[in-house]
Amino acid sequence: MSKAENVKTVTLTIDGKEVTTRWGNTILQAAREAGIYIPTMCYLSKVEPIASCRMCVVEVEGVDGMILSCQEKAVDGAVVRTGSEALFRERQKIMELYDVNHPLECGVCDKSGECDLQNKTLEFAVDTQEFTARDQCRPVQNWGFISYDPALCIMCERCVRVCTEIVGDESLQISPGGYKSTIVNVKPDEPCAECGECMAVCPVGALVSTDFKYSSNAWELEKIPGACAHCSAGCELRYEVKHASIDDPEPKIYRVTNDFEFASLCGAGRFGYDFENRGARKDPEAFARAVEALRKAETIRFSSVISNEEALLLARIARHTGARLVCDDARGYQKFLRAYREASGKSLYGGNLGKLQRSDMIVVFATRLYDDAPMVKYAIATASKRQKAQVVYCHPMEDPRIQNLVTRLIRYEAGAEEGVAALLADLLVDRRRAPEELRRFLEDLDIGYLSAESNVSEEEIEAVRRVMWKRKRFTLVVGADVYNHPRVENIARILAAIERYSDFDLIAIPPASNSLGVSLICDLADEAQGYTVGYNAPGDFVLSALGDGDLDMPAMNQQEGTLTTIAKRVVPTYPALPYGGYELADLARALGIGIEHVIDLTPELPAEEGFSPVAFDDLPLGYDNLGTELRGYLLENAPREGEALPEEPAEIDSYDGTVVYRCDPGNLFGPFTARTHQLAAEAKLVGSAQFAAAAKIADGERVRFEVDGIAFERVFTIDTSMKGTIAINPVFDTGLRSFAISSYRFSPARIHHAGDADE
Amino acid sequence: MAKVLVSTWRGERIDNRSKSPEEWEESAFKLPETYHGEQGSRAFIGWDGVAIFREDTDAVRLATEYAATYQKYSEACGRCAPGRWGGRILYDLLDKIARGEGSFEDVEHLREVSQTMMLTSKCEIGRTVPRPILDLMELYKDQFDACILEQKPSPHYGRDDIDYIAKVTAPCMDACPAHVDIPAYIEGVRDMVFTESLEATRKTMPLAHTCGRVCPHPCEDACRRANLDEPVSIMELKRLGADYETDHGLGFLHPQEPKPPRNDGKKVAIVGAGPAGLTAAYYLGLEGIKVDIFEELPVLGGEVAVGVPEYRMPIEKYNKDIELVTSLETVDVYTNHRVDAERLKELDAEYDAVLLAFGARLSKKIRAENERPDMEGYWGAIAMLDQVNLWNKYRIGEPASKKLKDTTVVCVGGGFTSMDVVRCAVREGAKKVIMLYRRDEKTIIRNTTYEEYHEAVEEGVEFIFHAAVERIVDENNKLKKLICNRFELIPDLDGGRPKLEKIEGADFEIECDWLIPAVSQSADLSILPKEWNLKLTSWNTLLTNGRDYMTSRPGIFAAGDCEYGPMTIVNAVGQAKRAASVISRYIYDGKVSLTDEEIMEDHLKNLGVYDKNEKVTGWMPGIPRNVSEKLSVEERKDNNREVNLGLSGEEAIAEAERCMRCYYISMVAV
Repeated sequence: MSKAENVKTVTLTIDGKEVTTRWGNTILQAAREAGIYIPTMCYLSKVEPIASCRMCVVEVEGVDGMILSCQEKAVDGAVVRTGSEALFRERQKIMELYDVNHPLECGVCDKSGECDLQNKTLEFAVDTQEFTARDQCRPVQNWGFISYDPALCIMCERCVRVCTEIVGDESLQISPGGYKSTIVNVKPDEPCAECGECMAVCPVGALVSTDFKYSSNAWELEKIPGACAHCSAGCELRYEVKHASIDDPEPKIYRVTNDFEFASLCGAGRFGYDFENRGARKDPEAFARAVEALRKAETIRFSSVISNEEALLLARIARHTGARLVCDDARGYQKFLRAYREASGKSLYGGNLGKLQRSDMIVVFATRLYDDAPMVKYAIATASKRQKAQVVYCHPMEDPRIQNLVTRLIRYEAGAEEGVAALLADLLVDRRRAPEELRRFLEDLDIGYLSAESNVSEEEIEAVRRVMWKRKRFTLVVGADVYNHPRVENIARILAAIERYSDFDLIAIPPASNSLGVSLICDLADEAQGYTVGYNAPGDFVLSALGDGDLDMPAMNQQEGTLTTIAKRVVPTYPALPYGGYELADLARALGIGIEHVIDLTPELPAEEGFSPVAFDDLPLGYDNLGTELRGYLLENAPREGEALPEEPAEIDSYDGTVVYRCDPGNLFGPFTARTHQLAAEAKLVGSAQFAAAAKIADGERVRFEVDGIAFERVFTIDTSMKGTIAINPVFDTGLRSFAISSYRFSPARIHHAGDADE
Repeated sequence: MAKVLVSTWRGERIDNRSKSPEEWEESAFKLPETYHGEQGSRAFIGWDGVAIFREDTDAVRLATEYAATYQKYSEACGRCAPGRWGGRILYDLLDKIARGEGSFEDVEHLREVSQTMMLTSKCEIGRTVPRPILDLMELYKDQFDACILEQKPSPHYGRDDIDYIAKVTAPCMDACPAHVDIPAYIEGVRDMVFTESLEATRKTMPLAHTCGRVCPHPCEDACRRANLDEPVSIMELKRLGADYETDHGLGFLHPQEPKPPRNDGKKVAIVGAGPAGLTAAYYLGLEGIKVDIFEELPVLGGEVAVGVPEYRMPIEKYNKDIELVTSLETVDVYTNHRVDAERLKELDAEYDAVLLAFGARLSKKIRAENERPDMEGYWGAIAMLDQVNLWNKYRIGEPASKKLKDTTVVCVGGGFTSMDVVRCAVREGAKKVIMLYRRDEKTIIRNTTYEEYHEAVEEGVEFIFHAAVERIVDENNKLKKLICNRFELIPDLDGGRPKLEKIEGADFEIECDWLIPAVSQSADLSILPKEWNLKLTSWNTLLTNGRDYMTSRPGIFAAGDCEYGPMTIVNAVGQAKRAASVISRYIYDGKVSLTDEEIMEDHLKNLGVYDKNEKVTGWMPGIPRNVSEKLSVEERKDNNREVNLGLSGEEAIAEAERCMRCYYISMVAV
């Protein structure tokens, strides 16, 4: 592709229609832009052309033979025909080949009704099989969440492609064998990310959900559009719903699907869908107590698992009652954002996942990427594969799961984030652009001290400088480790300076579901005080969507509203399941706030924070033909006054002894995911052999320790891929308490023996 | 030219079946009439047709075997619907006919499936396999009909009396001296599974970093894509796999799990740790055979280390290629270890085989009057580049800039080495650098590359064409100036190479401080024991038959520049890979033998795989080749930064998508 690809266009004729498209686009893309249909089997918009099915062949005037439209570029002046008798015959013959010996089990196949093979077999009128090949016995394989049936597999390779190019795990490979070829899971011992991407893109019934298998026909399920609320990515998804059973007319979510052609999901989104607050009923007495509690509350404490509208409503209730608002998992992020604004000259960070995907130089800082932010990891995987991106991963713990994405690891001491940020600024800020004061700040940095205390050598920094040479598109990703760091504001100012005075775009990953929305909508206090009402958070009176509080509330899959995602996009979600109890709007009304439905607040979200005055029902959904996201709207990123400069980094505290890092594993984002039937798991403390030795504990031993005011007792296991004296401690099993943690993620912890695993 | 009974090769239609032997028409192609030694072949079948050498050929069985071979091949691929199912059905139907159970309907289906494969298969193999089968069905219709009408097996069905020996190739693979599986490594890039790309390269080429950077890529001259628009940028795509492994700090990926040390007392000595020596060591080492490499220099890598400059081949990357080899358990290296005639005799006695791979490191003279190597200011290219590179890459010795800064340098040459000399001289601070070349600009570009020449010009090197030094003038044994002649090219009316004729009265002088002859290099034959009387070529290199690389003395093999004369890295790799294979058998049975794969490789080389006149169909023409970014003159000329930044990720994938996967299957029946 030429370097000037952004400006160059080509014009060609497809089926008599003149089409102008960007240079570099394929014939198929040009056709789709123009709304012209070309049949495909293996093509998947979000990955590079696979070119295995050969169905998309077209004819081009003056060119002999049939041209593969998915891969061949549109060139100026080409005259393309997408349908002719000869093309129909060839496509029909390919379908005849695909159909050879394909098991005639559509009656029981999960894919039936939404199967590309079925559709194309009908489209190309293949109704008999005139020749055969020797059949083979290939049993179904169970890969955990996913079952693979090689007999149904048409080897389109989409699954392998998404695993490589989108997810980046490279768990799936093609086992070549001609007629015998199959897909293999090369990580059978270490479970793959279990994201289900492969299953989502499978055009036939070869990859299906083990849980969903044989439970429903595709056409019986009602698809309800939603936005995933497990993390801040807010991915597009569809809850697929039907009555629970012949005896039970109550609707139930059978599975989650998505617009896989353009969008992706992680395992939490795909398999963790049944977290609804089941069986909640209206209890007028509890309701009255709740109204009373809110009236007298000095603090309303809530979690980031909340819609924008509810957050706004809580703010209104608080204003009405005079309470303060506390949101522990968003407070640090709000501090970060506010300090960032004062320093960056704009209201929101400049990066986004699309730019990240196209970056060829990426620095990831202060996040355990694989677990914290799957969609950010996906984007980096794509950048790694398509752009040969240099990925510098800065974190106190090495993560072998992303070795194939990371090109350079900078392992720093826990607690040293501010120092590392300063070292990064020293490396990345372009002195020619920086104002005098910032240059002075950089000159005054005691690099020797920062380097020694953070344990990042100058050679490591130098090595990063070398690999940055001649890179074109830069993204800096920062994550949850800094938001609750005591020096969060200064870190934000340092990172803002980098973004402002270098080619890097910043992405500050919102640490929990709607932390970004909450940070923009609510004025948060640091700590709870006095009588506290918790909304999905601990308190003296608890409103809970987990069903364990003093009054039930609807879970995110039972309500409508919008979420603000990492993409700085406001996206709608719809109730997939009915809810029988009271909602926040009911409480607000009882308190004298005139509101019918929470979504009445959608157009009232604060315009000064970038929200648009659009009614909920007017928010668009989905993607267009070319994959442009239409969902909701993007926040306006307005210019801001101010050029706050970072101050000199504080002294770096070192952590001695055993340290515990708060981190939920990949698919489990907290108590809501943890209660879903497919994802439920036992929480364990996981550490290296070195940690075990330092803590004087053994693999499989039951241990006790206290962190963040929570007394944990759990099994310790050794992960041989880990190093150092930091262990990972999940909190997804601590219920609402996990939403009341606002401390820095690394904590020194004394580990005590509490018995053996089976005790 | 070959004697054939029937041939449809490359469009010819020869059918001598009804003719008397003296009327026989000969094929225009070097088809393999004989297989190996005295062994004749019965038939040859491949992508471009079929050739039958004997009357009693069972065409049905031949077609079936060819389809079976494709079926076997597609088991290594099977990456498209027509190829995967089509190949299987092709074979099943042919086998059905061959075993006497077929019908005329099957023949129809065969034609139909063939048509689909030929039109829409992903790679050429699927598109070309049906072609000779259809030829056979037409030419030997009687045999097919007999099987169907009489419902009886073909004469040789189910019998093991004939060997069918097959080989997969591609025009680029055939043109590559190391026969690298180019379509596979390009497919790895297209699939973005860079580890697979690298493993494909390393099957026959351990120096992936190196040959992804400084290979003159003869493959690209045989790229079928050129028949459509421009050749694929094959060479640069090789770099992606190697860079991926290095960037991600992965352990070394081998094409096969290295076998455990054999510890059977057998061992091989290799003289020289350049590309040839390293390659042989790698493939012997992978087999678990004990190898000792003896290197005269203090560093490993041979000319690529001390000859090729840092800005073209960063040592950090080359060291990865070297480590790949030395990381093998059975490979040991001894540097600063000069092997002379006495030592070579010891090695010969001590080791089961010795591979001579000491290169060609003596700078040849330019044959001017008063040319004396001891003259101050006269500096052989090899010695000059040694000093430059040993300092820049290893900090051994002292910087060449001490000598070259602010001086005038004249290099006489016209090949890669001379380009390295002048561009290094620029980087070492020479105030004026002149390249003197007897022929013209076009030839220097052909001898090197357009980029290399163009970049040298950009960096300020002055090229004087059609000129040669007649006399060197010194003052007290210190070089003063050069008296040069001018030539003109007189075209040869018989179509040969144009002759150079001196233009009278056009002589000119150049005052200079340095004269660096870089016309060619020769091998240092003084290390060969006189009494061995090793046979040499007319260019004074070690003579072998170019197939098994054994010299005239049993157990002594030779590969690389000391065998071929100064040539490319990839040539050295190709020779050494073959030599290693021969040695791996020789040390056990004392025989010099080739595998079927290697015999076929040589047949195909002889026949020629690439057809530059072939019309390519089924691909969109007019998609230009991607060109990698290079440092600007300002960014590069005063330092040793790598000039070629390589293709960006997007460019590499787009380039990989231009590859037409021109795999072909050929098969000989013997």
